[in-house]
Amino acid sequence: MECREMVVLIHECLDGETDELANQSLLNHMKTCSSCRQHMHELQRVIAFVQSASHIHVSPDFTARVLSKLPAPTKKNLFSSWLRNHPFLTAAAVFFVLMAGSLSANWFDRNDILQVSSANMDKLKIDRERNVVVVPAGTSIDGDLVVRNGDVEVQGEVRGNVVAIEGKVFVASTAQVVGNTESIEAIVDWIWYEVKNIGNDLLPIMR
Amino acid sequence: MDFVEKRLTERAKRGDREAFAELVEIYKDKIFQLAYRMVGNRQDAEDIAQETFLRVYANLHTYDASYKFSTWIYRIATNLCIDRGRKKRPDFSLDEEVEPGQGLDWYSRLSSSERTPEDKVVTQELQQTVQDALSHLQPKYRSIMILRYIEDLSLQEISDIVKLPITTIKTRIHRGREALRSKLRLM
Repeated sequence: MECREMVVLIHECLDGETDELANQSLLNHMKTCSSCRQHMHELQRVIAFVQSASHIHVSPDFTARVLSKLPAPTKKNLFSSWLRNHPFLTAAAVFFVLMAGSLSANWFDRNDILQVSSANMDKLKIDRERNVVVVPAGTSIDGDLVVRNGDVEVQGEVRGNVVAIEGKVFVASTAQVVGNTESIEAIVDWIWYEVKNIGNDLLPIMR
Repeated sequence: MDFVEKRLTERAKRGDREAFAELVEIYKDKIFQLAYRMVGNRQDAEDIAQETFLRVYANLHTYDASYKFSTWIYRIATNLCIDRGRKKRPDFSLDEEVEPGQGLDWYSRLSSSERTPEDKVVTQELQQTVQDALSHLQPKYRSIMILRYIEDLSLQEISDIVKLPITTIKTRIHRGREALRSKLRLM
């Protein structure tokens, strides 16, 4: 084989691309051809020479300088990274928004008919003209009393909460209310009331 | 290693600066090394390395995670080095005088005949020689020789970095080696 072809083979050998057969023929050729042997040695020296370039290091404050030149994070990025860093609060916020949505839908869907919910309906007096539910003096009612679209007048005893939705609660001096009295007139109150109820329902489970 | 880098690039993509800082730490010396061997001085090399990382940050959203991150960052750095070379080409010529009015040009500094063999052993001298030899290669050969023998990358990876077929890479390495061989013979 000619030396010119051998030079190609030498390069392939240096790239580690030759097979056993090619290596053998290269070795055989170099045994007899001093110029190819010389060529091979010089190329090997070139490689060793380039590889001898010592590894230099960048100045120690390089990373800090790069970071200082980064564009300031945009509001959007800050917001989304805040969301990522506070997954629980994010979930709570999403939950609250959805709850508020469904509860406020509840608020707008109602009609204006007086609604009363209580365990002792028979003991209550309903004054249709004034739109007032009266707990007469001397009677006692077990459990919560919830009235919608009307006022509540408590003269007797209620062993629970008294709630008037879009109405007012009037408590007479003779009245005894074991729970809270509450009157809900705005949507915000309504949502708060519902959320509180859910919370109260859940708490015993968690305890 | 690849797994760690994947996680880091994903986090950096989402705007996590700490993850980005870690990527800088992993690659800063490699990129600086490449730039230094390409341009031959620290200041320009640090500028290029810095620019490389800023571009990486700005273009993270375009990074395709099916490629290796190293391939992508080496490509950005290589392109920056070659662009810089194009812009700065005329600012140095061997025919220029070292100091005006003294009649000495840079060729007078190149001659190595008066150096004793002992001098050459001194590491700094050798380093300078490597740098000189590399700087005489055309940038397209120089970058590939650096990637192959200083950054120690495979032919396949170099082919991915410069987006050229592997046969072209081989040809350039062959020519690069031959060019350096004749250069070293002169020294």
